[in-house]
Amino acid sequence: MKKQAKDKLVFWLFLAPALISFIVVVILPFFMGLYYSMTDWTAIAGVKPNWVGLNNYKSMFSNLAFQYSFIRTFIFTLISVISINLVSLTFAFLVTREIKFKNFYRAGFFVPNLIGGLVLGYIWQFIFKSVIPAIGGLFGINFLEELLLLADPTLTLFGLILAFTWQYAGYIMMIYVAALLNVPQELLEASEIDGANFWQKLWNITIPMIAQAFTITSFLTLVTSFKQYDIIVALTNGGPTDIYQGTVVNSTELLAMHIYNVAFKYNNMAEGQARAIIFFLVLSVVSIAQVYYNKKKEVEM
Amino acid sequence: MRKNLALLLVMVLVVSMFAGCAKKEDPEEVVIYQNKVEINDQLTAFAAAYEAETGVKVTVKTAGGDTPYADALKAEFQSDRQPDIFVIEGMGGYKVWESKLSTFEGDAWIDLTDLEFKVDGKVYGFPVAVEAWGMAYNVDLLAKAGVDPASLNSQEGYRAAFEKIDGMKDELGIDSVVAMAAGPDMRWVTGLHNFNGYLSAGLPYGDTTVLDKLLKGEADMQRLTEYADWVELLFQYADKSVLLTGNYDAQVGQYATQKSVFIHQGNWIDPWLVDNGVDFPMAFAPHASVKGTMDSIFIGAPSFYVINKDSKFSQAARDFLNYMATNVKGHEYMVNEAKMVPAFTNVTLKPSTPLSANVAEWVAKGKAYTWLQNDMPDNFGMGTIGPVYEGFAKGDLTKQEFIDQIAAKIAELK
Repeated sequence: MKKQAKDKLVFWLFLAPALISFIVVVILPFFMGLYYSMTDWTAIAGVKPNWVGLNNYKSMFSNLAFQYSFIRTFIFTLISVISINLVSLTFAFLVTREIKFKNFYRAGFFVPNLIGGLVLGYIWQFIFKSVIPAIGGLFGINFLEELLLLADPTLTLFGLILAFTWQYAGYIMMIYVAALLNVPQELLEASEIDGANFWQKLWNITIPMIAQAFTITSFLTLVTSFKQYDIIVALTNGGPTDIYQGTVVNSTELLAMHIYNVAFKYNNMAEGQARAIIFFLVLSVVSIAQVYYNKKKEVEM
Repeated sequence: MRKNLALLLVMVLVVSMFAGCAKKEDPEEVVIYQNKVEINDQLTAFAAAYEAETGVKVTVKTAGGDTPYADALKAEFQSDRQPDIFVIEGMGGYKVWESKLSTFEGDAWIDLTDLEFKVDGKVYGFPVAVEAWGMAYNVDLLAKAGVDPASLNSQEGYRAAFEKIDGMKDELGIDSVVAMAAGPDMRWVTGLHNFNGYLSAGLPYGDTTVLDKLLKGEADMQRLTEYADWVELLFQYADKSVLLTGNYDAQVGQYATQKSVFIHQGNWIDPWLVDNGVDFPMAFAPHASVKGTMDSIFIGAPSFYVINKDSKFSQAARDFLNYMATNVKGHEYMVNEAKMVPAFTNVTLKPSTPLSANVAEWVAKGKAYTWLQNDMPDNFGMGTIGPVYEGFAKGDLTKQEFIDQIAAKIAELK
């Protein structure tokens, strides 16, 4: 009995640092946030927040800027997930073949991921604003020379997706490379003897065998696209403007940036917090659904 | 033994705490805690010269650059030696430090400026320096185009001048008449500086009637309609790529390379121009934000020296500031050493950089329109109405829609 009690004590003692820090930095702030989202808190010292119930949540859904931001975030996420996975899978196939300098290519594709989002945003801003018109001027293509890519809402969104894909595809590629190297060669050889062509091998052997990697990569790309902030700040700063239901809105002000602006620029901390909670809920539901669906597709050897 | 040692340590600690609190007779010393890293050395030198002349020691402490001044100041107030003079940046700072501020009364410098920081008629802040914006123009190009700068004081005058210059683009070698920016990075130019014309242009200094109405959610439709003509005029004669996607460098760069005659910026572009070796003569003309004849540019002080209420040497601190404003040595420090434009009408020294020199002339003439852009609600200028300008610049909105949208945004402030 005494030994058992001692074991228990030791168990809790060892758990305590992790548990306490988890509670202090994750659980408590989450519930405090939930509370603040139902007040009119502005973070000015000495002012007591008043309880406003669900008002912040109600006003949010009738807010056109928020609606628009939500829609744009979904579009951005959808296209980014597809483009990043396509690009990185293609790269992964290329760099796992027997080609010269394949390690050099692997490193090369991975390098953009080491550049910070802000720096990368400014680089692409330079490309879109100065390099593309210069190329247009060089080859006498008037359309390119006069193109103001960052003044067009649709083109800017694609520009962002391009920059983000360029940054993130290398990282995702590494995961695919690891998965591809783990596909058993004997299966592929056996199918080859049976006369399977490249596409049949890909569809029936390789893809099912790397399904685990798909779960991880889709989760990572989905969550990171949804939370994208730094590249946008540097590349477009939320602009250019678009017209949504008669009002002017910022076309690349995706959710994370929208929440930041509401909370810190307008100093409506409580409203921003309410939006952050909805953001959290939506992101959790979408990503849990995605992981659940992908897990069902995985095969065990 | 061990116990005794611990006891001894505690005793030492307690005694030293009391020693720390013991009152010593401090010699008179003014501590100034300021936020401009770039003038730290100059101010320290000036303070040393002041001590040599008057025997009052002035210590300069500086925070800023990487450390946010507001946070560092809070820490400074927790220490045992609070600063006697510190810096606030307008109304926002006043609200935070209200309980710590004392008023200036009867100080000589108050009569020498219109830019002191006042709340309810009481003077709280000494203007550190002056900044101003207007329509800065390239004197040579304007003369070459045969436009008299004196005609640039009304919308009609500007329209005639812009049309004339626009017709001479090839001769003058310019891309567009005005270097104007309304893109996502430049909303402070449109939503704050340009919009301030709607709030204060043509009104007596300190008149806040339009702002007061705005804060109550009412737009002055007559003024707004006139103001929209001005915005349209600027956008019409601006270079499209600078206007829609340009950043600060693109806008100032267009002007600096003489690819435009005008720029919608203030004297803070001087360091940029000096760094890049720009030396053509330039000056400011008033903004013709609304109908009528305009005779002033927008002049204001972004930060103020204030006196700590609990300071033991508040009189010495006030004397120091007075000396700075009224003595020639103070002027020399502000103008030649710290490269600032003083807010005081008695200063005869000229700044060496072109736009600041011109601002000093406007200050001496006492021709100023009020800065009200910082008294609007948080992010109203840049976040709420900034995008509307961009929509107008791109052609997504007509002029009437622009007016309606701005009016609607103002109505939301109710």
